[in-house]
Amino acid sequence: MSQDFLKNTKVLVCVGSGGVGKTTVAASVGVLAAKQGLKVLVLTIDPAKRLAQTLGIEGTNDVTKVPGQNFKGELWASVIDHKKTFDDFVERAAQKSEAVRRIFDNSLYKQLSTNLSGSQEFTSLEKLYSVYESGKFDLIILDTPPTKHALDFLKAPQKLSALFSEGVAKWFRDPEGKKSGILSHLIQAGTRQVLKVLETLTGSQFIRELGDFFINIEQWQGKLLQRTTEVQRMLVAPTTKFFLVTSFDQAKLKEAEYFSREIRKGGYNLDTVILNRVFPHWLDLRVGYEGGTAEQGLADLYMQMKTYYNHRDAIYRQFEKKMSIEARVLRIPDLVKDVSDLSGLEEISALITEEEKSK
Amino acid sequence: MKQEIHFVTGKGGVGKSVVAAALALKLSRQGKKVLLVELGDQSFFKDFFELADVTFHPQLIQPNLSLALWTGESCLREYAQYLVKVESLAKLFFDNAVMRAFINIAPGLPELAMLGKITSGPRKYGPPMPFDCVVVDAFATGHFKALMEAPAGMAQAVQIGPMGEQSRSIIRVLKDPEVSKYHIVSLPEELPLKESTELSEMLQKEFSVEPTLVMNKVLDVNIPRASLQNAESLTTSDLGLFAQYLEQQLDRQSQMMDQAKTKFKKILKVPLFFETNPWTLVEKAVEKLP
Repeated sequence: MSQDFLKNTKVLVCVGSGGVGKTTVAASVGVLAAKQGLKVLVLTIDPAKRLAQTLGIEGTNDVTKVPGQNFKGELWASVIDHKKTFDDFVERAAQKSEAVRRIFDNSLYKQLSTNLSGSQEFTSLEKLYSVYESGKFDLIILDTPPTKHALDFLKAPQKLSALFSEGVAKWFRDPEGKKSGILSHLIQAGTRQVLKVLETLTGSQFIRELGDFFINIEQWQGKLLQRTTEVQRMLVAPTTKFFLVTSFDQAKLKEAEYFSREIRKGGYNLDTVILNRVFPHWLDLRVGYEGGTAEQGLADLYMQMKTYYNHRDAIYRQFEKKMSIEARVLRIPDLVKDVSDLSGLEEISALITEEEKSK
Repeated sequence: MKQEIHFVTGKGGVGKSVVAAALALKLSRQGKKVLLVELGDQSFFKDFFELADVTFHPQLIQPNLSLALWTGESCLREYAQYLVKVESLAKLFFDNAVMRAFINIAPGLPELAMLGKITSGPRKYGPPMPFDCVVVDAFATGHFKALMEAPAGMAQAVQIGPMGEQSRSIIRVLKDPEVSKYHIVSLPEELPLKESTELSEMLQKEFSVEPTLVMNKVLDVNIPRASLQNAESLTTSDLGLFAQYLEQQLDRQSQMMDQAKTKFKKILKVPLFFETNPWTLVEKAVEKLP
């Protein structure tokens, strides 16, 4: 029954807060899928140097076939360049080169398209969708940008599309309501007061910049909203599955519980919760140290560590009991060493398979 | 005395919140009134310390130590009320659907509002901040960079008017080494150290400040190599494997420490504690801070 999640799955989104090992998990699942005979692409954000080397994507943003592989299927990888993805999107959507240049020159666009809240999430999904649309791969695995909270990722596109909604744009393009009729002029009396507050807070130049920004996006803002809807449809499709990657401490487990509730509410398919680096792979929690020739300091430290991990194991069991109704829970031990080659990824993918079988 | 601002950042998962809490607790024990601030929509400390709630308004959680959670919107709301004076007008502003959508995402605005609030004490601008120290449990490195770049970006985009002025005065405070202190938390591992180094270089270049590297979860053991190698042959339990693990970890750790020394002038070490109680963990970290 193993690898059920790969059946009828076209997109796999790995979410989780920063530093939990999302990229490594995404790449390992990619290996697993390639072994099953799928042509799979792993889209990553900011891989560690050695992982990037392993995947053959160091210093390039191209979609690259991972070197040195011998799988039944094919493993491909790519690093997402956010600025370029955003600019490419604008270029395609805006069509006229004059409009493209004007928006590229707008100082607010410059801030928006680099690394401000929400834009990395947008570009990740944009990249994912364009590959998805191309139909070149059986499976695409997306590694998501680091957020404080796993849920931020799902909220970001909606927030961004709110900014680009016609209601907001119209407002700033024509704050005085000059272009609309007398009726809307009357309605907008309250709105003008609101705008006055914004002006007190930010100044008239800022409002002008904003107006300029919204005038420049007029052409392609509709396309952006349409894109957001298409992306949303892809995310809730039954062929899209979510993996929540999390680390192993109490606060993170609470976050995972909260996340799984929210993801369900949003209509997404949470397939698996992966607890990463739960404890060193060699550690046998059941066996005690019987004393012997080792130095006391070493034996003490060993027992300390064991007690600590046994405590965590107890917390984990409670968590698994609660969660198992909603999703599969797998745990991957800490391999300690950095993953430095394809065999390292294979090792993790084997551990995932092993965990799955034991369920 | 001038108010001090301590920014604590680092790659996700390195334990920066615990370091921030320890730093705040340490300062509060020196008799200073300390505010520990979390940024964003979600509180880490709420779950971690099992608190009823963490809000925009500071709440006392230990003697001399208060905790608050600030979002861009809440900071902007307070700032608007302070500036507009008329509460009903401020309310009208924030109840407006367009404004609500806008302020959460407007390029640079939430970031600027948060930094404005954080630096409001030294700038003597806005509602009073009755604290000697503000310890900010800030965003992880990537988002932190964006936070720090927001005022310069805004000052450039909007040179005239309150936005430009505020941005410039915020930058002055961020650059003042007497007021703003930067702590980058890392682990003795490749990726966290790489991100820490990149951030430090950016802070040095753009703000002329010298951040402290806090090397967290350092294995603090004094077991001779010979004993480790000796233990590795043990087969009665996994103690032998533990010794092997320890040896590998210690090797990597010293390698990373050497690398860190070439990049940072100030390095602090916080050991790895096998501790499950949150307050005890923070207390233990406090002891290791200077």
